[in-house]
Parts: sequence; structure tokens; C-alpha cells
Amino acid sequence: MSALRRPVYFLRRALDAMARGPRVTVVATGTIFVAAFLTGLFAGALQGAQKLVAAWAGEVQISVYLDPSADLEAARAAAAAAAPGRVVEAVTAAEALRRFRETLGPQGALLDGLKPGVMPPSVEVRAPGIGLAEARALAKRLEAVPGMREVDYGSAWLERLERLLKQLRWAGTALFSALAIGSAVLVANTLRLGVFARRDEIEIMKLVGATDAFVETPFLIEGMVQGVLGGSLASAALLAAAALTLPRIGAALGLVAPIARGDLLPPALLVALVAGGGALGTIASALAVGRELKQKRP
Amino acid sequence: MIQLYHVYKQYPGDAPALIDVSLTVAKGEFVFVTGPSGAGKSTLMRLVFCAEAATAGQLLVFGRNVAKIKPSHVPPLRRAIGVVFQDFKLLHYRTVAENVAFPLEVRGLPVKEVRRRVGAMLRSVGLELKADKFPLSLSGGEQQRVAVARALVGDPALLLADEPTGNLDPDRTVEVMELLHAANARGTTVVVATHDRSLLERYKKRVVALERGSVIADGAEIRKVGMA
Repeated sequence: MSALRRPVYFLRRALDAMARGPRVTVVATGTIFVAAFLTGLFAGALQGAQKLVAAWAGEVQISVYLDPSADLEAARAAAAAAAPGRVVEAVTAAEALRRFRETLGPQGALLDGLKPGVMPPSVEVRAPGIGLAEARALAKRLEAVPGMREVDYGSAWLERLERLLKQLRWAGTALFSALAIGSAVLVANTLRLGVFARRDEIEIMKLVGATDAFVETPFLIEGMVQGVLGGSLASAALLAAAALTLPRIGAALGLVAPIARGDLLPPALLVALVAGGGALGTIASALAVGRELKQKRP
Repeated sequence: MIQLYHVYKQYPGDAPALIDVSLTVAKGEFVFVTGPSGAGKSTLMRLVFCAEAATAGQLLVFGRNVAKIKPSHVPPLRRAIGVVFQDFKLLHYRTVAENVAFPLEVRGLPVKEVRRRVGAMLRSVGLELKADKFPLSLSGGEQQRVAVARALVGDPALLLADEPTGNLDPDRTVEVMELLHAANARGTTVVVATHDRSLLERYKKRVVALERGSVIADGAEIRKVGMA
């Protein structure tokens, strides 16, 4: 007899067992909650970091520095063709020096006496909202601008950040795997205590002719319910934490466009945490009850 | 019903629990298996309901060789066997009726049918008024009657009782034995493991005597020589 044929009966037995052993239920749910929360926290932080990198990349202005002898108008036209829809501005050497002086403020007088040609002419491309990969591709295209000497889009630190993110992603995968295995073992051990406390019940069930599936099904449902509960609580806690901290983080980093809660904790991630919790609980239960049943075989 | 041919059972690091046991229990028989503690009575019962496997020999239950039975074939076999233990083995958090209903739930019987059969069984063991009580609120004799009701509710062809009266006073012992007797009268084969000589004297049935794992006597003459 499978759970598919008598779902209500098995569900009732699972809930009944959970009510009779609330301590095991609380510990198992708590363990899955911690595992899911930590996983979600890490995944959310990664998503946030990626979002920040993308935002910072978008604020970077791409500059194409030219030879002093280059045809500035031709270079501007070529840059505009390479970056359709973007704001492209030609900056003469004199204008570049003026802007530099302005940047220096009171120290601008230090530049007195320099010839206007000391700064190279350039073409500036503004691309708000552009992603890092897109910025890199655009910079590559701009290398074809006639008279180009160098293309700068502040790549060095963005590249470093992106490398760090890649490493973090690997670390996240490793952490998630370790958490999943650790949690499965921890939850399985917790549930084994529950199974051990109910070994008489299992023995009697087997005695009156219950199949392994009949014995296992309520335990699997229990594990799944505890897992879904733990995953749901973790999702709720993450949403609450995000609601509390995101405005402060946005203000601290001086972001123009604040990071939205959905950017960090997309619905797919929350669903994955709940489903993952359920799967973890079910697997842990299967391990725990399977071991007990194996011992009961002739 | 039960046939044992040169059955051995050896637990690791222990003396043999059964040595070359051969015996047959026919359909409808009532048999006492007797002997001192450690004689192998419980081991014999456990082999018959497949709680353990024999180390060597052939053991046929309902014509099937259970010495080589697959784990997946054990549950259907057990549904045809009722088992009663000295320590009752009741679920204390379930009511009397729920305990008795358990074997029927395992079989997936409809709720109405389960209720009907449980009610009838509780009436037959005189516990219809205790249906909603929990086992720990009952006397030892009543708890054993619940265990007997649970063993019989599925109409088993074979009833195994391992020291069913070991924890009971003489009056309660008679009550429980009468239930087993009645089941036998209705056609159920009954095997009772006991070291209580008074039972052998009172119920003139076949007696198989075990000692140190071997059958030392089989038949009614045991009562006369007092070997039990």
C-alpha cells in the first residue's frame, strides 16, 4: 500500500507522530532552518555583490584616448557608430586640460604654464546601466576608433572584483554542498533519535505484516514537512533581514538606485530554499528509517 | 502448517540456540512448546514468523520455505500469522481499539470494515467497554487480551504465543488461555511457548519439549513424566 493510495491516512499518522514528539520536530526543523538560512544568506549576498558590480560598471565612463594628430570628429563618429544609442562626446586637448584643472580645484594653479597639448584629446562614451560584460565588449569595439591610443573603462578594479565574485561563487557552491551534506547528516541523526524512540512502533508494524513502504511513508512525510517548514522559516527570516538591512546598505554605499529585495532574494531562490529544505528532510528521514528497517530484517 | 527439518540456529559468539530441530505442526493443531529458559522456545517462534533466519535446515510455513524467503515476501506471510508476546507489545499512545485495528490498517481495509471487525473482536475478548482506553490504564490481563485481539483480528491461520501468560496471575492466565483455545476451536492453528507446567496439565494438548536447543520429547507423554 503506497502513500498515493492512502495519502490522508499517512499524513494523519505523520502529523500525529510530530505532535507526539515535538522535541524531535523542533530540533529537525531548526537544523534545516539554519542550513537553509545560511545558504540563502550566502546566495543573497552573492546576488547583491553581482548587482553592485553591475551598478558600478554602469557608472563608469569609457574614455578613448587619441593621438594628438587624430581627427577628433572622425573618431567621435566612429565611436558613435560603435556605441549606438550612447552619449558620445569629443573632448579636445584644451578641454581635457580645463576639466582636469577644474577637478583639481584650488590646486588647479599647479597646471599653469602647461601647454594645451599636454593632455590627449579623447572621445568619452557614457553608458549608464551597462553591465560589466557589455562594457568590456564596447571597449573592445572602441579600440577600432581611428587614432585610438588607449581605451579606459576603469577595468582593473572591476576585473578584480569580478574575479573575486567568481571565487566567491565557487566558495558558495562548496559551502552549499558542505552545508547540504552536513545538514543531511545532522538532520538524519536527529531523526534517528526520533526513529529510535519509535522502534517499538516499527517493530509492531513489521510484526503485523507492514511492508517497508508502509513503515517508511509517515517518516518521509514527517521529514518533508519539517524540511518545508524549516525552509519556509528561513525564507521568511531572509526576507525580514533584507527588509531591515537593505535601505541602510544602500545609503552606506551611496547607491543612486537602491538594491531591491527581489534582486537579492528572487522568488526562485526562496522557492529553492523551501523545496531544498523539503528534499533535505525527506532524504534525512529515509536514511534514518532505512537504517532501522535494515536492522529489523531477518 | 509448520514443518522444520534439521533446523539449526547459531548466534555469533554464543552456544547454538537450536540444534537439528525437526518437527511438524499440522493444520488446526494446538501445540505447547516447553522447556526451561534458554531452551530455544522463543528462537523457534522467531524463526517461524521470520523475525530471524535459520542458520541451516529447512523451515516451511504454509508450505513455503521461509529459510530462504525474500524480505519482500515476509509481510504477506506475517499477515497470516498472529503473534502474542509475554510483554504484550502494545502501543501505549494508541487506544485499545486503535491497537487492535493496526493489523487491519496495514492491510489497507476500509475504515468501516476496520471498525466493524475491531468492535466484534473486542466483544469476543470482553473489552468492548475499554475500546477508548489506553493500554497503560488496563490491568496486565486486559492488556494481554488486547494483544490476543490484535493477533486474531485478521483471522490468521496460525497463532504464535510466546509465554503469553508469563506476566499474569492464575485467573488472568485462564482467561487468556481460553481465548487461545477458542481461536483453535474456530480452526486457527495455535503454538504456545511456555515454561508453565500447570498449563500443560490443564490443557491436554500436544507438547514439544526443548532443552539446550534440541527437541528432547514430543507428545502427550511429557506431561506424565513431568519433563517440562
